[in-house]
Amino acid sequence: MRFLLQPSPAALERARPPVRTFLAFAALLLVAEVIQRAVSGTLSPAGLAATLSPAEGERLGPVALWEEVHQGAFLYGFLLLTVGSLLVVCPLAAALRNALLAVATGAALVDLLAPFLPLALPGFSPWAGLRIAGFSVATAALLASVATAFVTFGRAPRRTDG
Amino acid sequence: MADAGLRRFRAPIAVFTAMTLILAATGAVLFVRKMGLRPGEVTAYYLGTAGPFGKPRTLRGLLEVAVPHLLAVPLVLFVALHLVAFAGELPPRTVRRLSRASFGFALIGLLSGFGIRWVWPALSVAKIAAFVGFEATLAALIVLLVSLLAHAPEATEAEGPARSRAPAAR
Repeated sequence: MRFLLQPSPAALERARPPVRTFLAFAALLLVAEVIQRAVSGTLSPAGLAATLSPAEGERLGPVALWEEVHQGAFLYGFLLLTVGSLLVVCPLAAALRNALLAVATGAALVDLLAPFLPLALPGFSPWAGLRIAGFSVATAALLASVATAFVTFGRAPRRTDG
Repeated sequence: MADAGLRRFRAPIAVFTAMTLILAATGAVLFVRKMGLRPGEVTAYYLGTAGPFGKPRTLRGLLEVAVPHLLAVPLVLFVALHLVAFAGELPPRTVRRLSRASFGFALIGLLSGFGIRWVWPALSVAKIAAFVGFEATLAALIVLLVSLLAHAPEATEAEGPARSRAPAAR
């Protein structure tokens, strides 16, 4: 990980092939996650409601919800840490890098936490749509981050002095 | 954040810390909801209870939970401990102790389920102690990470973006 803390041209050059392979796998993981949710029916509000809605009197929601959030936090945590850290050593404008990370993080939190809304606000029905939107935006922002890092990692910064 | 190199990674570290907090909180809720915090409840979870739904846990069932945790738990601890250690604000001895305690609690927690089921049901006490210890060390790591983030000075443009450090020519 020396290339992250001391990103010399030589270190970045050496790190480029494995970093790009890792990013390709990260993209595959994101696509697989979309397919998995589609196959399990949780990309539709009805499918989500069937699996994650709290039953009558279930104050904390179903165990399946907690398991999903537990797994999701691990997945998002590592993806955002690794991809976010790689973006730091890419020749990008800080505003773009921060925007990608902020959008992905905010949307990931919506994806993880939206199913808890009906526990705090009984009868709050838009939670499922909110979760699907959060997942879609988080996945899109992460894919954009992965693609940006894939293209720019180890590249020379664009000269602005003419 | 004593290590200047880490300052530039504040945002991804903050996100990782937030997700680790969610991980720890949901892990605690799942433990309590599935097993409970009394030795008798934990033993009943592994050995089963009288009635049609109280079957003992199978090896397959235990492995389905243990195998992903054998990857995920050490990874989370490894990254969190590395960040805390790299920041350089804790004495190495404290980092070593925190590392041994967190990995030790994690290992005991993972193995004691198998022990309760097939070796000695009274290991449920060790399972609960390991769970409480693991959550406590994880909470300590989260607090340390938050404290490092809170005390980190703003990165200057010269130290910050990769723009100035990326290769000059290819």
